[in-house]
Amino acid sequence: MEKEKPVVSVRHLKKYFVANRHVFGATDYVKAIDDVSFDIMPGETVGLVGESGCGKSTLARTIIRIYEPGEGEIIYKNTDIAHLSNRKMRAYRNKMQMIFQDPYASLNPRLTVAEIIAEPMEIYNMYTKKEREEKVQELLEQVGLKPDHITRYPHEFSGGQRQRIGIARTLALDPDFIICDEPISALDVSIQAQIINLLEKIQDEKKLSYLFIAHDLTMVRHISHKIGVMYLGHLVEFGEAEEVYKNPLHPYTQALISAAPVADPVLSRTQERIKLEGEVPSPIHTPSGCPFSPRCPECRPECRIDPPVVANVNGHKVACYKYV
Amino acid sequence: MIQREEYFDPIEKEEQNSEFIAIERKSFVRDVWERFKSNRRALTGLIVLGIIMIITLLGPILSPYSYDGMGTSINSKVSLTHWFGTDALGRDLFIRVLYGIRISLTIGFVTTLINIVLGILYGGIAGYVGGKTDMAMMRIVDVMYAVPSLLYIILLMLIFGSNIGSIMLGMCVSGWIGVARLMRSQVITLKEREFALAAYTQGAGAGRILFRHLFTNAMGPIVVSATLAVPQAIFMEAFLSFIGMGISAPQASLGTLAQSARMYMSIYPNQMICPIAMICLIIFALNFIGEGLDEALNPKGSR
Repeated sequence: MEKEKPVVSVRHLKKYFVANRHVFGATDYVKAIDDVSFDIMPGETVGLVGESGCGKSTLARTIIRIYEPGEGEIIYKNTDIAHLSNRKMRAYRNKMQMIFQDPYASLNPRLTVAEIIAEPMEIYNMYTKKEREEKVQELLEQVGLKPDHITRYPHEFSGGQRQRIGIARTLALDPDFIICDEPISALDVSIQAQIINLLEKIQDEKKLSYLFIAHDLTMVRHISHKIGVMYLGHLVEFGEAEEVYKNPLHPYTQALISAAPVADPVLSRTQERIKLEGEVPSPIHTPSGCPFSPRCPECRPECRIDPPVVANVNGHKVACYKYV
Repeated sequence: MIQREEYFDPIEKEEQNSEFIAIERKSFVRDVWERFKSNRRALTGLIVLGIIMIITLLGPILSPYSYDGMGTSINSKVSLTHWFGTDALGRDLFIRVLYGIRISLTIGFVTTLINIVLGILYGGIAGYVGGKTDMAMMRIVDVMYAVPSLLYIILLMLIFGSNIGSIMLGMCVSGWIGVARLMRSQVITLKEREFALAAYTQGAGAGRILFRHLFTNAMGPIVVSATLAVPQAIFMEAFLSFIGMGISAPQASLGTLAQSARMYMSIYPNQMICPIAMICLIIFALNFIGEGLDEALNPKGSR
């Protein structure tokens, strides 16, 4: 069988924000994303984890071109979309969509549900007005809302229902790649499961690919086929979900997974926790060498000099000198 | 708590899956109108303004007098034939006050409308585009704002003569700047909100995002500041007329009426009091409406 091509591949992507322009000389940059590369296959979910401020959301927003990407490539099917003009980008916007974190902020409070869901189709001049109305009904049903909800305003819905509306809106354009930027972290636990199940159901039906961002490790393990771990703008580990979870290679991933709560008190007592020393360094003055070196329990002298090259351990990628 | 057996009956098939929305369906406009209605002062303001407007529209048609028709009774007191009395030339003051209100309200509403449209466009573009464009656009505005608006009005009057047009133009030269600044700051905060980003990722163009998503959400404070700008414009016109820079005779605004009554103030106080009372009434009514709209559009704790 011929090898499948990735839907989206990110190559050496960088995104620096200007933090401070000095009157003379250098400009300070926040290195929000620094040299990140990975692939997303059709019908696959890639989970992205990491602590707050490590660049997960920036990565998502850069891939979907809310932020202008710096160096690097974002390849959608066969086209590098990283540096397309806004006009040319329009042809690809309908193929990649995004579900936002806060369902209260992501729906325009002045529009009805029907207007919100129909808007992307209006923008792309898809279907006639009548067909659009039918499509809205269909989408609402698909995400588990009632057809008579269409004339309602967003403030009349609960958080979970709003997130469903948000999902229906992204599906309106029949995308083949959806970025979920912490779609469940603003919801109750019981609703989280519903939304996750809905996302999985839709994925099965439409062969969608997800980039799923979360900080809840168990949830990411459940939904993802592959997991990427980010630290300080770097992708430090990337591999099959079970593999990363059961056999973490990077010291940061090991610490992260050992810190996740376990639902079994007996097991939890016996489990050893890796406690990290210190704080995450400032993304402006990043450490030379491995970004994790100042806090790494297994740091070696060479870690502080040059950043590690990505090593491939049986298809499991890790950026650490232990595996070079 | 009393435990009854029927509490534990299984629910009907239809009631299962009964997630429904209990609050009444309300559009945004209706919601605002209901809150506005419950504010008694604002409603009074609206009614008073409505009555004044109806009288100003119908009065001149029904009245036997015209605003420049002189009569034989000079400086008459308030009576049934001349409700507000007459002036030194025997003109009926009631009808002149009505014409004055027309002029005042026209100036107030037209200048405000022009200011809002200009301000929204300018501020919207500056805020949305951002960066250097924003910087340049706002500095131009700062320079224009540094010159007192009185100066613009006087200069325009020198060129175009003292009529309503030049007063309105003069008030518009720098009047829109307040709206522009307000709109810009609203757009800057709103464009980072997720619904605006969502529209952007759906391929929406700048115009659609600006007007369908940002403007509709920025409308609240802008409408409020606009309603409060109407009485300001009316007051400005009255003030200009009073110091002798208003529109020229025989037309009269409320300000010029008060100005010409100044000389006889102690003998015929009705000539002064009537136009000034109307100015007060209109300004009060408009301010109450503005206040009511403010509360109706930005209810505390609703979000």
